[in-house]
Parts: sequence; structure tokens; C-alpha cells
Amino acid sequence: MEIADVVENNRKAMRMLEVFLKVPEFSVGTTPSEVVYTEDDMRLLHYIPLVKKRHPVPVLIVYALVNRYYILDLQPDKSVVRKLLEDGLDVYIIDWGYPSGVDRYLTIDDYVNGYLDNAVEKVKELSGAEKISLFGVCQGGTFSVMYSSLHPEKIRNLATMVTPVDFDTDDGLLHVWAKSLDADKIVDAYGIVPGNLLNTGFLLTDPFRVLIDKYVGLFEKLESNGDDDHGERENEETVKNFLRMEKWIFDSPDQAGEAYRQFIKDCYQKNLLIKNEMMLNGKRIDLKNITMPLLNVMGEYDHLVPIAASKPLNDAVASTDKETMVFPTGHIGMFVSGKSQREICPRISSWLTARSG
Amino acid sequence: MENSDLQASHDFFELWLKAYEATYGRIVDMPVMGPSREGADRLRKNFEATINLHAAWAQSIASFQSAFAEATRQTQEKVEKQIAEEGASPSSYKDYYDLWMNTYSETFKEFLKSRFFASDLAKLTSNSMDFQKSSRELIEENLLKPANLPTRTEIDDLSKEVYLLKKQVRELSRDLKGSAKKK
Repeated sequence: MEIADVVENNRKAMRMLEVFLKVPEFSVGTTPSEVVYTEDDMRLLHYIPLVKKRHPVPVLIVYALVNRYYILDLQPDKSVVRKLLEDGLDVYIIDWGYPSGVDRYLTIDDYVNGYLDNAVEKVKELSGAEKISLFGVCQGGTFSVMYSSLHPEKIRNLATMVTPVDFDTDDGLLHVWAKSLDADKIVDAYGIVPGNLLNTGFLLTDPFRVLIDKYVGLFEKLESNGDDDHGERENEETVKNFLRMEKWIFDSPDQAGEAYRQFIKDCYQKNLLIKNEMMLNGKRIDLKNITMPLLNVMGEYDHLVPIAASKPLNDAVASTDKETMVFPTGHIGMFVSGKSQREICPRISSWLTARSG
Repeated sequence: MENSDLQASHDFFELWLKAYEATYGRIVDMPVMGPSREGADRLRKNFEATINLHAAWAQSIASFQSAFAEATRQTQEKVEKQIAEEGASPSSYKDYYDLWMNTYSETFKEFLKSRFFASDLAKLTSNSMDFQKSSRELIEENLLKPANLPTRTEIDDLSKEVYLLKKQVRELSRDLKGSAKKK
């Protein structure tokens, strides 16, 4: 390396420092909403409509317990929620909150037949609809599938996105690792399973890309934006967008121990859900009870929930109106990529609106 | 991962643990007697959990090092091949970085999907939990209780009571609502 290179690298480092020193505050989940129901840590949010004419069947979005719901409304130009609202859908979302030590005994039954059922009842009450649409994402999709099987009379349409139902696959690393995890020991030792522990697992699925390359990519993008005013504005936006994702990735709530234990053992290890053998509080989940219209959306390059884990849902249910959509993107790309806004959201939205009259 | 020897490092740590158990481990396993027997026994168990955790940790590190060594070897091989074919090594930092990143990512993908990593992870997690549980018991019984301070176990018992009570209240409220609707 020559002296000129050292000087150039120093200049770049100083410029990056300047960029980061200038970055203003950023926010996530900015689409206006109001809290219409709370129970323990759970909150039910109702989004303020963006258009006058609304479809009569409301949509309740159910996100996973791992990470936070606002990935579906990360920023105005990357928002699944906003797209649905713009198309006249009446949108609600569940925020599961941050479980603490007192929540360690919550089971999947408490989440599905307790909080989720109460949220559905509240949405029905507020909207006046007899049945609502459930839009489940990731683990929230798995919960939505369980709920739709146990309470089909309340669900008009079921949409699932990157949702695992058949856990017996080696396509995703999480599926491989979970098979040998001793969930009993983890729950007995921690009670509430630390979110950071789970996050470490997610980071390990592609450590060099997510722990090094992502940041190198950011600096390269900032460097390529130029020194002028326009470049400075672009850099500010780039950093804000990056920090929103960074906040979401590391905003990992702890997990209620008993629910975690059951999810790992019954789903990942025994694969009971797809076999129609999973029990919640003495009631068997039979996927053939799902007769309402079903939309199953998945990502071709999803390394967390591979297609093999999602696709079998369509064959397992008794619905006649059922559709699969596979998009060439990854797990996160489903919510925040340009493709998500241009292609994925409009197609989900039109599937829902066509069935929400 | 074809040239790395993950099996050898696994065999080594198995052997190390067996040797430990047959020698020092036997001393640690000796029964404890006397008025402080219970407290000393908990200390003994915690020591055992520490050794198991240490062995699992060392084994994981060794496996990671094998994967690193293999990734470095493959990167070097690619650079040498490039020099042989094109007469020059990667000309810019970016070229070299891309080659390095791709090779390391691919090698580690293979390693992380292997049965060695899954078994390392399971063992390390299991031993960490044993250590954590044993340490908690040790602190609760040997320190907190004698100092008349509340323990995590007691708080957990209370949490369970609260959980069960709340569940009961919810069920009763639901039944009441149902009855009111029927009327």
C-alpha cells in the first residue's frame, strides 16, 4: 500500500464519520393507528383509513413472536400495511409486546385461543363483520393456520406469508439445528428465552453476509453517492433506511418459555401440525377444518422459512379456493424490497379485496 | 470442507473428556460428608457443569477454526489459480474482498449445515443450560437463602400463581359473557 492509498482511506473514513454525525432521528411504523384493545403485553392496533371507500371485511395481521410487527410498516415507501390501506382494506395488526418473567408460563394455546381469539372478537365487534380475514406472517402465519382450523366460523379468508407448517425439511438451517436442540433445558434454565439467543441463531445462518458484508455494502453505497448536496441527501436517506432495518433486526423480544418449548418440540421436532396431530388445550388441530379461501405466499430464496416448509399447506387444507404465490426474493425481501411494493403487496391486496366484498 | 478434519477435533475432545472423567473427575465425584455436605455437593456439581461447558466450548471453537482454516485454504487456492491462469492476483481491494467473501460464505454455509455443527451447537447449548441452572441453584441455596433474600425460584412460583389466576379469571369472564348472550 502506498502513502496515497493511506491518505485516500483516511479521507473516506472522515467522510463516513461526517455522514454518521449528521444523520437525524429516524422512526419506524409511522402509518397512523390507534390502540383499540390491550391485554397484558398484547396491543391491537387499528390503522386509520387512507381512502374513503372501505371493503367491509377487515384484515387482521398476525406477526411472529420473534422480532416486531413494524417490519410490515417499516417506512412510508416500504410498507405492506400502507399498500393494503391504499386499496381500501380495513387493517388491524397485533403487537405481541415484550414478554417479561411473569409471562414465562404462556403457552401457544394462550396466544392462539386467548390473545388472538380476543383480538378477532374485538375486530368483529368494531367492524360489525361476522367474519374477518386473517393475514399471518412467519410464525404469526403458523398461529393463524392453527386459529383458522380451531375457529373456522370466524374467518372469511386466510392469507399466509413465509409461514412454516411442515417442519420436516433440511432446506433451512434453522430446521436442521432445531432438531437437536434441547428445548426443555433452555426453558428450564431461562424461563423467558432471551431474544438475543434466538437472534444469534438467525445471524449464524449467514454470518459473513450479515455481520460483515452488509456493513461493507453500506459504506460502498455511501462512498458512491458523491460529495455534493444531492449526494449528502442521498447518504442521509441511505443511512436512515439502513438504521431502520438494523433497529428491527436487533429489536428481538424475549420469548415466553412454555410457548417456545411447545413450538420447538411439537412443530420443529415432531412436526405435528402438518400431520393433524398437534393439540392445543386438549383440542386437536385438523387442517382439513380450513375450508375458507387460502392464499399462501412464499419466497424462493427464503433461508429462514424455505418453500418446502410452507408449500404443503395448500394440500393439507380442505379449501377449494386456494392459491400459492412464489416470489423470487428472500424472507425479509418479502416486506421491504422494491419487489415487495411493486409486485408482492399489490397481488396480496387484490387477492384480499376480491374476497372482502 | 473436504480437507478439514472436523471428525479429528471431535474425537480429540471426546478423548480429553474421557481422560478427565477417569482421572481428576473421579476426585471431584467423591462423596461429600459433614455438616456443610449439601452446600459442598452443589459446589461439586457446579464444578462438573463448568468442566462440561468448557469442553463443549473448546470443541465448538476447534470446529470453527477448522472451518476458518478450510476457507482460508480455498481462498488461497483461488488466488493461486487466478495468478496461474491470468498472470495476476486480484488487482483491487474490491476484487479480493469479493473473492474472500464468497469463499468464506460458501465454506461456512457447508460447515453450518454439517452434522458436526448441529451436534456442537446442541451440546454447547445443553451444557450452557446445565451450567446456568446449576449456578442458579448454587447462588440461591448457598448465598440468597442464608441472606434471607428472595430467589428466582420463588419469583417463578409467584409468576405461575399469577398466570393460573389470570387464566381462571379469563375463563370465568368468558363463561359469564356466554351466559349473558344466551339470556
